[in-house]
Amino acid sequence: MLPYNWMMAVAILLPVVAAVLVYIIRQYHVRGVIVILAAIALIVNSILFLLHGKDTFSPANAQMWNMVVTVLDYLILLFYIYVGISLKNWLVLIFALTQIIPLAWLEFGMGGSAALANVNPTFVVDHLAIVMTLVISIVGSLICVFAIRYMYDHEHHQHLEKSRQSRFLFWLVLFLGAMNGLVFANNLIYLYFFWELTTLICFQLIAHDLTKEAIGNAARALWMNSIGGTALIIAMIILFAKDVPMSLNGILSGGVASAVLLLPVALMCFTAMIKAAQLPFQSWLLGAMVAPTPVSALLHSSTMVKAGVYLVLRLAPAFAGTRLSVMIALVGAFTFMAASGLAISQTTGKRVLAYSTIANLGLIIACAGINTPLAITAAILLIIFHAVSKGLMFLCAGTIEHVIWSREIEDMEGLAAKAPMITTITAIGMLSMFLPPFGMLLGKWMALESASVIPLAAWLFVIASAAGIVFWAKWLGRLLQVLPKLGSKIESLSLSYTVPLWLLVLGIFGVGIGVASVYTGLVQNAVADVISSGQALAVQGWGLTVNGVSAVSSTANFAVGNYPVWPLFIVFAIAVLIPFIFVAIKPGELRPVYMCGEQAGGTDTDEWYSTADVKTKVQLGGYYFQGVLGEAALNPWTYTLSIVLMVIMFAVALLAIGGAL
Amino acid sequence: MNAWIIAIVTVIVAPFIGGFLAGIDRRITARLQGRFGPPILQPFYDFFKLLGKSKIAASRLQLMWIYAYLVLMITALLFLVLRLDILLMMFILGFAGVCFALGGFSSRSPYSHLGANRELMQMLAYEPVLLFLALGVYAQNGSFLISQIYASPTPLISRLWPIFIALLVILTIKLRKSPFDLSTSHHAHQELVKGIMTEYSGPYYALIELTEWYEIVLVLGIVSLFVANPLWVGIIIALAAYVLELFVDNITARMTVGWMVRFVWSVGVTLCILNLIWFWVFAAFKGVS
Repeated sequence: MLPYNWMMAVAILLPVVAAVLVYIIRQYHVRGVIVILAAIALIVNSILFLLHGKDTFSPANAQMWNMVVTVLDYLILLFYIYVGISLKNWLVLIFALTQIIPLAWLEFGMGGSAALANVNPTFVVDHLAIVMTLVISIVGSLICVFAIRYMYDHEHHQHLEKSRQSRFLFWLVLFLGAMNGLVFANNLIYLYFFWELTTLICFQLIAHDLTKEAIGNAARALWMNSIGGTALIIAMIILFAKDVPMSLNGILSGGVASAVLLLPVALMCFTAMIKAAQLPFQSWLLGAMVAPTPVSALLHSSTMVKAGVYLVLRLAPAFAGTRLSVMIALVGAFTFMAASGLAISQTTGKRVLAYSTIANLGLIIACAGINTPLAITAAILLIIFHAVSKGLMFLCAGTIEHVIWSREIEDMEGLAAKAPMITTITAIGMLSMFLPPFGMLLGKWMALESASVIPLAAWLFVIASAAGIVFWAKWLGRLLQVLPKLGSKIESLSLSYTVPLWLLVLGIFGVGIGVASVYTGLVQNAVADVISSGQALAVQGWGLTVNGVSAVSSTANFAVGNYPVWPLFIVFAIAVLIPFIFVAIKPGELRPVYMCGEQAGGTDTDEWYSTADVKTKVQLGGYYFQGVLGEAALNPWTYTLSIVLMVIMFAVALLAIGGAL
Repeated sequence: MNAWIIAIVTVIVAPFIGGFLAGIDRRITARLQGRFGPPILQPFYDFFKLLGKSKIAASRLQLMWIYAYLVLMITALLFLVLRLDILLMMFILGFAGVCFALGGFSSRSPYSHLGANRELMQMLAYEPVLLFLALGVYAQNGSFLISQIYASPTPLISRLWPIFIALLVILTIKLRKSPFDLSTSHHAHQELVKGIMTEYSGPYYALIELTEWYEIVLVLGIVSLFVANPLWVGIIIALAAYVLELFVDNITARMTVGWMVRFVWSVGVTLCILNLIWFWVFAAFKGVS
């Protein structure tokens, strides 16, 4: 096996090397091979981490690396200032200054740099970090492979004079390294550095197409996440002032944070919520969809937003049992509900996906706020399942875009006839987002079963859940509207598309069917590393059982809920897969649809005789309820309520300090 | 082994009960409308006649989805009789509804498209109530397992009667009765034709009838959970609820989709939440004392 320092180097530095190589080498095929090799190396390496288990790591030349990190920190912030000035975007400039000035004050004015240098260990790779690195390395790498061909087609369609694919792949591959560093970091200045690095890469990727809209949205993502960076620095300053060791371990070592520490914890959760695009900060993630689709796939599934939910989960023990925990649950649950409702009114496929991501991140954060072993289990399982399903969904959206050159749901009508393979994959992806037996529903089910401690959160889950059914099913319904004919030709797509797509489909079924093994082999340990008390979930026979104490029989280890995993997959196979393969129909059995006897022709047309016997094509349209559920109608409410929730969240943290004094 | 026998018996017997209830429905409805009505066994005659008709369809996909609809409905019913997790049962019932809606979307038919969209709106209306019901069961029993409902000496209705009323409201939607027979109707309506079922005929339509019979048994089974001990009281309540729905069907006119969603959300969801708040406050007081 590889020495541990090499594994760390592969996880964090190999993406840097690969990124530089793809930037220098401008040949399509060589570049593709480098991306694929880096992807394989990262995937193998992440599995090595799993086999190695929990460990800590401090680099040998600590001083040199501290210096590198510090210098790069200031370079990134100086770049933000440059962006702010050159774009004349004052928000970017202001929030760059609010980072660089307090950071300099902390490190040099207060003498915090010595404390930061003394943190030992620099990196802690516990089981939660291992789950994250598996998600980042496997799903993220597949997306990078997909991007090789996607960007080629993207530029071909744009008719660019000079290819910018190298630049794109540079940032994309670098992202994986930054994320690995982020989830491993224990030293807060390393955490901050990787946090800012992901913000920077996100900015570069959203701005990639250099249209006015792209640059504007990239700047919005930058200033919003800079607010988060500012909050993180303030949290560090408070921690330093209170003589707390400047590391995640230091914050978490005392179990539930003392009242004085609740404020920095709240600030760090706030930082994380911005990155996870929780309301009212959802607009940066919605704006990010102007970027080429692999960017969205990466941001939504395995990187960026997952950094946000990771940090909240990581901090969960520090706010367990406090009112802050309740508020975090409510912020998440409210986001889950509001984003699900808003998704119904969206007419663009990628926007529906974006709202669904925001909603599911809200659910994960709500689980962290509920803060029971069952809820934390649900949160970690949701991170895994969401990464796989959402990665697949965005790659599908990208592929569909390159088949029909549109992102609008209305243009996807009847895609099942035009492109049956991608429609099938998309349908599997959609079903896996909200229906049994798939993992996302398992997570939602566990979240609901754990939510009884915060009833309001449970009620918001219920409403979000109902809205989720509507927006997924009506989108899927649009893809299926076909004329009565048989034998549509399967479309041919590049291997760079189909291999990641099918691997992710395989992943959905793999983690879904094998959820018991995923739980015992991976998630159980991660839950124990986050919140060390109690075990809520047991693998029993073919399913999972939730244990608890009964109100009726008051015996310990009493079953609260039961999820028969394999029987449900068998049902799914009988209900959906077998009919999909075996339901056959003879050409003679097909009939045109009923149009009151006014059809104009046979099964191959959808025309009918309208007034004055004019042949008219049938036009069908989806329901979007823009008037009731549109952004214009709902946003005043969602913004107000979410801001109020955030204010109360800080108020309870401050009140705790007041109470302590 | 016992579970297997229960499962097999349920799958065989449930359609007979459902079909029989559908026959009673037609008879009572006819009497309410001043007609004599068909024989009680008419739904079965219809069913076998449909099976003998020639197979025709408007697309292959729609057939696939109605098979899924049938299988998932049976699965949800099995969750009930095998006394498994009620929350998960609601999600499976939701999946069945989604499959039915997708079947309606799977052809370029304006009527079935309209019906499918309305079916989704119906789901938006009733799904929260079903999930709240599961939360209510947990609030009372501390468990989501249906077996615990049967084990508990206190019937659900004693503390969950507001949720029970909400359930009666959505029972109208699930049984496709007026004023909520929006996605498809048992009576002919010109603007809807047969709604989401317009494009099914012959044996495939028989399959949908069969699924509806399972669904009747399932939703009445959920009603009967409210007095699970002794079960015969619960069954009588469920049958009474069924007859009540028939009366409601015949004395009301169909409303619009928007009205339905607003009504169910304002009345049904509010009742559910008030019920759960009561539990919450109750628990808080118990914790204090």
